[in-house]
Amino acid sequence: MDRAFLDELRRIVGDEGVLNEPLDLLTYECDALPHLRASPAAVVLPDSAAQIQAIVKLCAREGVPFVPRGHGTGLSGGALPVPGGVVIALSRLNRVLHVDIPNQRVTVEPGVTNLEITRQVSPFGYYYAPDPSSQQVCSIGGNVAENSGGAHCLKYGFTVHHVLGVEAILPGGEVVHIGGTLVDTPGPDLLGLLVGSEGTLAVVTKITVRILRRPETVQTLLAAFDTIDAGGAAVSDIIGAGIIPAAVEMMDALAIRAAEAAVHPNFPAADTILIVELDGPAAEVTALFDTVVDTCRRHGATTIEVAQSDEQRARIWRGRKAAFAAMGRVSPNYYVQDGVVPRTRLPEVLNRIRQLEQRSGLRIGNVFHAGDGNLHPLICYDERVPGEPEKAVEVAAEILSYCIDAGGSLTGEHGIGADKSAYMPTMFSADDLALMQRVRAAFDPRGLCNPGKVFPTPRLCGEVPGPHRAHPLETAGVAERW
Amino acid sequence: MSQELNKVPDTPEEMADALRRASEQNLSVLIRGAGTKIDWGRPPQRIDTILSTRGLRRILAHQHGDLTATIEAGASLREVNLALALHKQWLPLDPSFAADATIGGILATNDSGPLRHRHGTPRDLVIGTQVATADGLLAKSGGQVVKNVAGYDLSKLLAGSFGSLAAIVSATFKLSPLPATSKTLIVTARDAPGLARLVRDVMASHLEPIAFEAEVPASSLLLRFASARPAVEAQADAAQQLLGAGRLVAGDEERELWQQHNERIWSGEGAVVRSSWLPSDIATVAEDLESLSAMGGIRHVELVGRAAIGTGLIRIDGDPTSQSRAIDRLRRSASMGNVVLLRGSSDLKALVDVWGSHGDREPVFASLKRAFDPKGILNAGRGPL
Repeated sequence: MDRAFLDELRRIVGDEGVLNEPLDLLTYECDALPHLRASPAAVVLPDSAAQIQAIVKLCAREGVPFVPRGHGTGLSGGALPVPGGVVIALSRLNRVLHVDIPNQRVTVEPGVTNLEITRQVSPFGYYYAPDPSSQQVCSIGGNVAENSGGAHCLKYGFTVHHVLGVEAILPGGEVVHIGGTLVDTPGPDLLGLLVGSEGTLAVVTKITVRILRRPETVQTLLAAFDTIDAGGAAVSDIIGAGIIPAAVEMMDALAIRAAEAAVHPNFPAADTILIVELDGPAAEVTALFDTVVDTCRRHGATTIEVAQSDEQRARIWRGRKAAFAAMGRVSPNYYVQDGVVPRTRLPEVLNRIRQLEQRSGLRIGNVFHAGDGNLHPLICYDERVPGEPEKAVEVAAEILSYCIDAGGSLTGEHGIGADKSAYMPTMFSADDLALMQRVRAAFDPRGLCNPGKVFPTPRLCGEVPGPHRAHPLETAGVAERW
Repeated sequence: MSQELNKVPDTPEEMADALRRASEQNLSVLIRGAGTKIDWGRPPQRIDTILSTRGLRRILAHQHGDLTATIEAGASLREVNLALALHKQWLPLDPSFAADATIGGILATNDSGPLRHRHGTPRDLVIGTQVATADGLLAKSGGQVVKNVAGYDLSKLLAGSFGSLAAIVSATFKLSPLPATSKTLIVTARDAPGLARLVRDVMASHLEPIAFEAEVPASSLLLRFASARPAVEAQADAAQQLLGAGRLVAGDEERELWQQHNERIWSGEGAVVRSSWLPSDIATVAEDLESLSAMGGIRHVELVGRAAIGTGLIRIDGDPTSQSRAIDRLRRSASMGNVVLLRGSSDLKALVDVWGSHGDREPVFASLKRAFDPKGILNAGRGPL
């Protein structure tokens, strides 16, 4: 990268705000999908929207690609740098700008963590609903880019349902205000487009979210079943009875064993466990919870445990949330997949996965959001065994094809990023993608803003979606995967 | 007046073909559903072709086990909800003119009603769409599953586009179970500050109504609870205790109450604007509206809106010049924002900037319009872009 460009970056953010030494750049080579790596020419650490605007304007003038980055917890390579480009790290924009309890709105900078919003408002009895498992460390800016969900999105929706407005810098360097503290900005819903666009349309510099009143009551149940079909049938009947639980999670035997080995949640040794959580007004939860318990019994639940305290509930969730990282206890390596099927097709798709498991010889653990059909198969392998890593990649890709066959999606919450862009044509036609490209070009005609993400480009030789490797944050015990 | 040609395509391909041909011939196209909101927006410029969605009115799929349905644009919400009710489900939307409004029109206008308090607007419920573009492309985005982050969510972009980006062919929505029963509490405050106190108390409580409406200047609040029977009883009692008064209605009386509430703004001939405010500013909003009604040439002003969201419809009865001055004043008031004139006489629409300023979004809208509709054939200049 030419010196004059670096000097200009330094003029904008100060000397300490520009990193270009190879060692300093290492941290930014990847996000939480460490097998996709690239070294940027420089990382800039602005601490204001004005600085971001100046950086983007400079990049636009010089034709230098730039990649916005939150806290690097993404699981699809959405923050993968472009060689020769700039990474705009938003970690210094971490101020909470306005907390408005009476109107249930909070305005923050993009580097504020998801959980920090809840921390700010919980003394008043409020919380921010989307709860990705990385919520302790992931940034709200990253949540906006990825349209993050979490365990409770079955009832409460995704980031897109909770963001009221953003201030953003367009790829040409112009500031734009979309939505705000008031609802119903006239015209097409730009906010709905921007949330989930994976940082390819703009760099968000300010975000207003709505917060929710903490529900009056929460009830959590853990039920064990002899077969995954029995558990699945119970879920169908719960939802068929007109109940929308706050969360419905399932784990299979391998995932249960792994979680038990890692965090000892005292899960029953079963083929399948189901976690159902209801929240809301006390009378409603009480009335509906009985139906949930009866339904589980009717479908042959071998044990039913109802959390009697916050600690008991926390223990159940700890077991569920640790399931990914816990795979390390039962397998030297594993690959986390994220796919979606219509909920009613779960049994059929899980059967196909079981057949694939037998055929491939690789063990596959299943942890999933059963309420919305979001699967997270965990494919176990040993990288020391020749051919196994490649086989794991093939198995993961095959599972995605089952999701598409069943009318589902390539990703429910991790995003397409750089990781799955090559699969986009399996879900979308050339015309579908062409229209999305037109939108992309309307914002960023020169393709400078986070290029190489979402849209399929011919992959480089040997660049394939790869296996899971522990992120440094996970190894350090700071973050867990969902 | 040009010779308008009506076309009623029966298949998505016919819809796309009609648009492609219009594009080739530079014909201006208006996309029309039931026409319930055809008078919203700017007065149309030249219209060569009216492209009706009414040939496309099937429910393509109701995956009741998945709580989703894929519906063609021309189907009416009422017909759709009758069909969904067979499986005790519904698409929980109650836009203006809900008896006739079509799925495509509701999504294109992103219109909603009191149920927005719980269920959001069409953009919150849509999970996928198929559109026909001005140059004849049939393209989909989103999908059939509720949880999905693959690709751009163009469905959301259609919400509020008023048919100026593309023709909606079909849309997939997330559904809800039909609540077992419901009850509504009506409370009337003594004055605007009293109304504001009630709004604040409800928002800070654990009450979870599915609708929470304010009527001004009546200073009335409507809270509707819908769920399992014991839950509805408990919530209604708790609400009555919290607010210290009010009348509970159920059954036919409740249905009638809501029908009247939803229709009241559209009664009469007045101009109707949509406007937003911060929920805690409701007292100031009420005072501002009172001062509008005191303006010369204005006979009456009233508001019906979502108390905890801060948005609603305002009807301004009066002559066009006075209505235009009143709208101007609303736009300058500190308590209101996003003021859009929906219904108004052509005299009024000649005096008022219907959509208001798009501020720094204007260039984005312009490039999106070029991307979707490079020849500018769609919507005859009625929409926001």
